[in-house]
Amino acid sequence: MRNSRALAVAGACLLLAACGTTSENSGTPGAQGAPSSCGPDGQYTIGMSQANVAEPYRQRMDDDIRAAAAAVPQFTVNFADAAQDNSKQVEQVDNFLTQQIDLLIISPNEATPLTAPVKRAYDKGIPVLVLDRKVDGEAYTSFIGADNVDIGRQAGEYYKNVLLPEGGKIGELRGLAGSTPAKERHDGFVQGIAGSDIEIVAAQDGDWLRDKGQQQADAILKANPDIQAIYSHNDPMGEGARIAAADAGRGDLPITGIDGLPIESGGLKAVEQGRLSATFIYPTGGAEAIDTAERILIDCGQVPKTQTLPTKLITQANAAETYAELNNGS
Amino acid sequence: MTKVAELPDLNRPGNGLLVPLFRFQSLFGLVLVFIAAVVFSPTRRGELVFLDSGNLFNVVRSMSEIGILAVGMTLVVLIGGIDLSVGSVLGLASVGVAVLLTGPGFGLVPAVLLVLAIGLGFGLLQGFAITSFGIQAFIVTLAGMQIARGLARIWSGGQGVSITYGGGPGQAPVVFSLLGERTFNGLVPIPALIFAVVAVLAVVLLRVSAFSRHVYAVGGNEKAARLSGVPVKRVKIIVFGLCGLLAALAGIVHAGQLNFGGPNDGAMYELDAIAAVVIGGTSLMGGRGSVVGTVAGALLVGVLRNILALRNVDANVQLLVIGLVIVLAASLQRMRPASVS
Repeated sequence: MRNSRALAVAGACLLLAACGTTSENSGTPGAQGAPSSCGPDGQYTIGMSQANVAEPYRQRMDDDIRAAAAAVPQFTVNFADAAQDNSKQVEQVDNFLTQQIDLLIISPNEATPLTAPVKRAYDKGIPVLVLDRKVDGEAYTSFIGADNVDIGRQAGEYYKNVLLPEGGKIGELRGLAGSTPAKERHDGFVQGIAGSDIEIVAAQDGDWLRDKGQQQADAILKANPDIQAIYSHNDPMGEGARIAAADAGRGDLPITGIDGLPIESGGLKAVEQGRLSATFIYPTGGAEAIDTAERILIDCGQVPKTQTLPTKLITQANAAETYAELNNGS
Repeated sequence: MTKVAELPDLNRPGNGLLVPLFRFQSLFGLVLVFIAAVVFSPTRRGELVFLDSGNLFNVVRSMSEIGILAVGMTLVVLIGGIDLSVGSVLGLASVGVAVLLTGPGFGLVPAVLLVLAIGLGFGLLQGFAITSFGIQAFIVTLAGMQIARGLARIWSGGQGVSITYGGGPGQAPVVFSLLGERTFNGLVPIPALIFAVVAVLAVVLLRVSAFSRHVYAVGGNEKAARLSGVPVKRVKIIVFGLCGLLAALAGIVHAGQLNFGGPNDGAMYELDAIAAVVIGGTSLMGGRGSVVGTVAGALLVGVLRNILALRNVDANVQLLVIGLVIVLAASLQRMRPASVS
């Protein structure tokens, strides 16, 4: 009995040895958020703590970071996945600190829970780049991300000015209840349609998921067959709503999304192929993060505290072109 | 399944060598995984990174919430039940304590006691539904999982509740932030201490009390237990109540560690807790197993996760490794009865 257990443990160890890489990087703690050493001759280990790679957006963020870092021979990036769990992400950051990484990139699952570990890293002299979602306070080096309220507002203005200038009833598919972007994309949208005759007559939580979006859109269309459009907080839920609309005999119902991921199953393709009327790019910031890391670690330079990434309205007119641009750029 | 008559043998330590070996299979497993972690630890300036005391306590802290849940889950599994609601109850409790502490009118002690009472009440109700309506624990707690999650979202207004500390209005008492701190020279995390206390209390409960014999009897053979005068219904309700209470405690620890009550937090924690119980050698059929095994099972998973992370093993491969360990532990358990009896 003990033998078989030992065997299996040995097996697990082999797996470890096969997959592991050794990080020999060390540095003495410096001032807050300032690297202990920098310059083009060093070798740097970057820890990337991702909230949840099961979301295509976040997978793409990791991919963007991987692609950009491949062009910098001094960088090694270690990726960790918190699987949407705040506690697990705290543990990851602690593990990165144990490993004594040279720079931390983190896309937090939630702001407040990750504030303390990010501050721990920052106070140890490790530069911290926060992607997509901010942490509380000022204990980080640079925040890189888009503004969800602004994106929501632009979507609202698109409804007000282009899609439904005469006003009308619409449905809303919201992201996961309790998540910050769901609230911000809603609040911004309400600001955007202010002053118009557009009325949100039905709003349901689609939890960011395509299948949940389809179910909720089904229900919305049953209860409100007279709606004239659906505003979805992301593209996958919008794709689900498209299936529901076709099912309800409303194949031409305008549906808009947000994210515009430049991948095969992403929103850009959905707009190009006519399943979504429009989407708004929500940039991952992956390439910008590596660029910022270069400025800190290799150029020994200063970086701005906040880097707000612009969104872009995508319609059938520019979908294909933007897709090509985003996939050749990185 | 064992007969009731055999139970005292398993219950008492030191009955030959095989019994403790099997009973504490996860302890031996933990030792082996620990040794493997030492062997494969990355080194820095000649020192093993894994053995760094800060790192070791990180491991304990990272498993303390799951560990507290798993202790309660052990009791439930021992009576042949299962509790799928603990993750959601953890989320509910984290929201509850965050809302109460940042709102007006509640001191630290009343807030904590109220939240613990909610967890206890939730568990007792589930136990009551199981015993009174004769519905399987799986189904009742599956419903409980949804209900607690819904309550958490309603109570929080659908938003995570951030906790700030101080004496002002809307601020939690500074004492509560201790849950995120370390003691003994800034080394031992408070949640790890709480986990240890919970585990010790549970071990004592399952060693010395009459309640212990009832728990093992109900899990071993419910019919026989009933016929021999064990108050089966009451034992079951109490066990589910304790499990709910511990889930609420874990939720309070969770909120204190993260300064945050998250309505979506604790999702899938019930499965991590069940995994720790299974790796710990407790049979899902009920009647046999121990809290010591569960604690070792939780720590084993923690050590494994830690060394995989320190070696930068891909997150998806980590899932495979932990899945394999669960299968291994369960198959060891299957071999056990023949060898022991």
